[in-house]
Amino acid sequence: MYDNPGNTTDQEKFLDQSIRVVKTESFEMKRCLDKGKTMDALKHALQMLNEMRTAELSPKFYYRLYMDTMHELQCLEVSLIQEYAQEPAKLGNLYECVQYASAIIPRLYLLVTIGGVFIKCGLGSRKEILKDLVEMCRGVQHPLRGLFLRNYLMQCTRSVLPDLPETEDMLLAHNNTLPKGAPALKPRDGTVEDTIDFVLINFAEMNKLWVRMQHQGPSKEKEKREKDRLELRILVGTNLVRLAQLEALTEEMYVRDVLPSILEQIVSCRDTISQEYLMECVIQVFADDFHLATLNEFLNACGQLQQEVNIKILLIALVDRLALYTNSSIEGQPAPTKMQLFEIFSEQATSLIKNRPDMPMDDIVALHVSLVSLAVKCYPDRLDYADMTFLGLRQVIEEKGITDIEAFGKVGRELTKLLNIPIDEYKNVLRLSELPEYIKVMSYFDYRGQCNIASYMVQNMLEEETILRHQEDVDAAFSLISSLLRDQEKQPDNSHETEEFADEQNLVARLLHLIRADDVDSQFLLLNSARKVLGEGGRHRLRYTLPPIIFELYRLVLQFADMKDEDEKWDAKIRKMFVCAMGTIGALVSTAELAELPMKLYLNVSSFCKQHSMKNFQGAITADRVPFEDNHTVVYEFVSKALSILEDDVVDSRDRVRCLQLTVGTLLKTTHLPEENWQPLANQAVLAAAKMFKKPDQVRSLVTVAALYWHGKTLETNGEKLRNGKKVVDILRKSAKIAKECLEPLVQQQLFIQLLSAYTYYYEDNCPEINVDHIEELISRTQDNAVQLDVSAEADSLEKQLGEAIRRLQLAKLDVAASQVSSARAEPDLPQPPSENEGL
Amino acid sequence: MAMLFGFGQSADIQIRLSNEDTRKVIKSRGDDGNMHDNFLYYDGESVTGTVQVNLKKANHKFEHQGIRIEFIGQIEVYYDRGNQQDFISLTRELARPGDLTQNAQFPFEFNNVEKPFETYMGTNVKLRYFLRVTVIRRLTDLTKEIDLVVHALSSYPDNDKSIKMEVGIEDCLHIEFEYNKNKYHLQDVIVGKIYFLLVRIKIKYMEIAILKTEIVGSGPNTFKESETVAKFEIMDGAPVRGESIPIRLFLAGYDLAPSMRDVGKKFSVKYFLNLVLIDEEDRRYFKQQEVTLWRKADKVMRRPGSDEAEEELQTSIPGTQKFTAPAPVEHPKPESPRSDPKSGSTSPDDNSDSS
Repeated sequence: MYDNPGNTTDQEKFLDQSIRVVKTESFEMKRCLDKGKTMDALKHALQMLNEMRTAELSPKFYYRLYMDTMHELQCLEVSLIQEYAQEPAKLGNLYECVQYASAIIPRLYLLVTIGGVFIKCGLGSRKEILKDLVEMCRGVQHPLRGLFLRNYLMQCTRSVLPDLPETEDMLLAHNNTLPKGAPALKPRDGTVEDTIDFVLINFAEMNKLWVRMQHQGPSKEKEKREKDRLELRILVGTNLVRLAQLEALTEEMYVRDVLPSILEQIVSCRDTISQEYLMECVIQVFADDFHLATLNEFLNACGQLQQEVNIKILLIALVDRLALYTNSSIEGQPAPTKMQLFEIFSEQATSLIKNRPDMPMDDIVALHVSLVSLAVKCYPDRLDYADMTFLGLRQVIEEKGITDIEAFGKVGRELTKLLNIPIDEYKNVLRLSELPEYIKVMSYFDYRGQCNIASYMVQNMLEEETILRHQEDVDAAFSLISSLLRDQEKQPDNSHETEEFADEQNLVARLLHLIRADDVDSQFLLLNSARKVLGEGGRHRLRYTLPPIIFELYRLVLQFADMKDEDEKWDAKIRKMFVCAMGTIGALVSTAELAELPMKLYLNVSSFCKQHSMKNFQGAITADRVPFEDNHTVVYEFVSKALSILEDDVVDSRDRVRCLQLTVGTLLKTTHLPEENWQPLANQAVLAAAKMFKKPDQVRSLVTVAALYWHGKTLETNGEKLRNGKKVVDILRKSAKIAKECLEPLVQQQLFIQLLSAYTYYYEDNCPEINVDHIEELISRTQDNAVQLDVSAEADSLEKQLGEAIRRLQLAKLDVAASQVSSARAEPDLPQPPSENEGL
Repeated sequence: MAMLFGFGQSADIQIRLSNEDTRKVIKSRGDDGNMHDNFLYYDGESVTGTVQVNLKKANHKFEHQGIRIEFIGQIEVYYDRGNQQDFISLTRELARPGDLTQNAQFPFEFNNVEKPFETYMGTNVKLRYFLRVTVIRRLTDLTKEIDLVVHALSSYPDNDKSIKMEVGIEDCLHIEFEYNKNKYHLQDVIVGKIYFLLVRIKIKYMEIAILKTEIVGSGPNTFKESETVAKFEIMDGAPVRGESIPIRLFLAGYDLAPSMRDVGKKFSVKYFLNLVLIDEEDRRYFKQQEVTLWRKADKVMRRPGSDEAEEELQTSIPGTQKFTAPAPVEHPKPESPRSDPKSGSTSPDDNSDSS
């Protein structure tokens, strides 16, 4: 290439020297032009152009020199045109004279300039001159200098290349707009075909020069050369741009002459850089419909490119461009055009891959990304196209024996892109089940990859609210996301500990709420079958996936409750639903080894039951028909199960307290348990309270449980509270006893105060069994205790609390006294608490 | 001298040629090395004019033994100054011996003089035509000479054969070159092409040189002198196999004379086109090819003033002469250098030879 590239400083120096010469000579040149001494001006121009012969400059610096020189040549051109436009004949044999110059580079630059002047002045045959110029430039075989010379040729002739035929009207119109005295335009010879020939020759020659750069100079400078070449590529590409700009270029010409010639040049140059750039150029510069018309030819040529060429990028660029085009602009076009498009691409891509055994897998997948995107976007109805593409890819993967594609590897990323396209485009994941090959391709992913795709699907379903209405929907969805639903062979052991796992399972849980059949029966069936599938998910998944099923069941029950009249087997069905829910919760306990969650669920169900039975109750009064045996059995069963979980499975003492509180709360809300069912549950709760591990917990729990006997409602009380004061007092007393056994003074004091509050509460609520003396005793005991406490912040606050409690009691006393007086007057018979309560 | 000796009257001689105003003048280098304007004559053209003898002293008698004018064509070989050969010598008597008392004019006429050779100023030889007026006197003659330039016109049929040749160095360089003719007139343009069939040297550039060889004498006394009269770069950089490079060389740009062969059995002038390839180590590979240069009669103005002439300019402008191969040859397509694994890597020893 350049003989002595030197370093940048040297280059600057050389460039400076050259530019100085250019400046001096161009100054002289202009002076001669001003004096009308054309020949002398040309001599200076030659001197100036001598600098372009340099071999010292790298492409970047040569370019700067070129720009300066070109600017001066333009001045020369403009000045000559001004001088000779009126009398072009005076140019005479200037075209010959400039060829007397003995050095080729200056000679040809000047020749091109004068050629341009001739054409612009309307002298000589435009066609002949263009042809002559492009041929004469062959004399420069030095890549860098040749490229720039030919670029200058393109620049100079840019505006004079024959294009649309110059009709007489056009000329006339043009000439009429000219000021007086300006030379009228004469019709010029040459057609757009001449231009095409001209540019194609120039293009071919420039490409050859450009390619040749690669093979000159020592091999150790290969990288640098490639960098240089990339800097120069635009010079070659300009030719294609110029062709594309021709207004008279028809599709027919493009198909017949232009593209074949370009492709021949590109293919035959056998240079990777050139092929990659020029093919992309072709894609970018020419019109979409030209591409459509030459798809086969273009793709064929792609197949003949060097192995190293990144075909992927080319095809993707083309596919994307055409996909956009077909989608946007040829709605009304006959289908065959569109159909062919995909088929051609698909066929070509397949043969390309076959012919290039070395093509990296990620490129292959990326190619399919484009194909699928084309298929899915342009042919939304042709699922077979998409499926065909997936099939093709599967076969390639199979052939290559690739498995377990890493989710975030090169291939994996492309594969993810590929699999996401139909999800995004169809906006309905269920359609994927119509692509049998989709899931097969997916299975080549490793565990993580499959999960990612599956959760992407679920997200899409959630966003698009894809309702799973039928069994087939559920089956389809589940089979698509099966990687999320059960343990996979490739699944790493600790996968369930990851954040992703939890996120995914949460998604699945949300997905379950999309199961929505048209009627209750089918919904139940769907839920049931979903449960079965989910049941195989193993303990780590169950905790996420079963609760939504249970909630869906509850929802179903509530929904169904109103439909009692519409269904003969209502009772049986509703019972079945509860059984199912119970079984599901049971699975949570047994398989998922959970305690608190299923317990809450049990209790929940009972609270649901309550609501539901309330409704039924009301319904029952009007219909006077159905007893609630089923109902209370279910409630009993559920609460008892909750209690047994509390006993057996809840280990942490704090959890136990909380769970017991929940149970008490739930029991308080039930209203329709018959006494025979209610009592064992309440008793069990009291027992559980007493069996708390820590004394303070026992005290507090007992205080809580006591409420059951005061506020609880059974079937028999008919909506009234039990108000079993004796039992309450028993329990409170028991807890007081335990409190006394407590050895920590601060804790004990707390407990005392709490007890005091409880006593006060019941006293206030007119519990006759509460003895004020008893309370007083407790107070004095508490006060004694308070004195003994060490001074501390806690003690202080307890002191205050105690004061509050006492004041509260005083107020209560007044209230009770007042009410006793008034009630003694108005209602002598206080409602008696149920007497059949059994003691503890 | 006559004046020194005081022999009185002396005279100034002038030669006036007819049509001096319209006759073409050629600048040529004279013996003294300066450029002189000389009138141009062609073969067979009459040389006419008048000789003026102007007396320096009016009304004094000027005595002479006779006045004559000669037309001489002469070849002079520099290394042999004494041995001048007049291949033409024509004499006209202008006046018989007698006296001149006033300025006198003597018309002369050489009708249809044969001028077989072209005027030539070479390195070792000179061919000149001149008129010499001699006024014969008793002691020293008065003489006056003027040089004339003679252009020898020739004509050759247009369907001249091209020069075509394939040359090369084995495994190193093979080219085929073609010049459209082997006889060019002096205003002609050489067009041609060079095809590269094999390139394994790193060519820096290629040029065509025009060599002029002057051969004087014969036998052991032959003097041969060559000089490069023109250098014309036709290619910059290194081509690859299959490239064809156009040649278009305008002879009008150079000061050339026609080829001469055995002129007066004294000398010859030959021209060669020398195709030279220079590689990156500045080694030169060349091939010489003799061409004949000839002088063509100046163009007769074609249909002067007619509009058609202008029209013709529209389609063909001077300077776009193209080479059209008489018989098209099949040439390999240009190929990428990759296909030629050894290209650019030949060892320098392989190509130190010249073709």
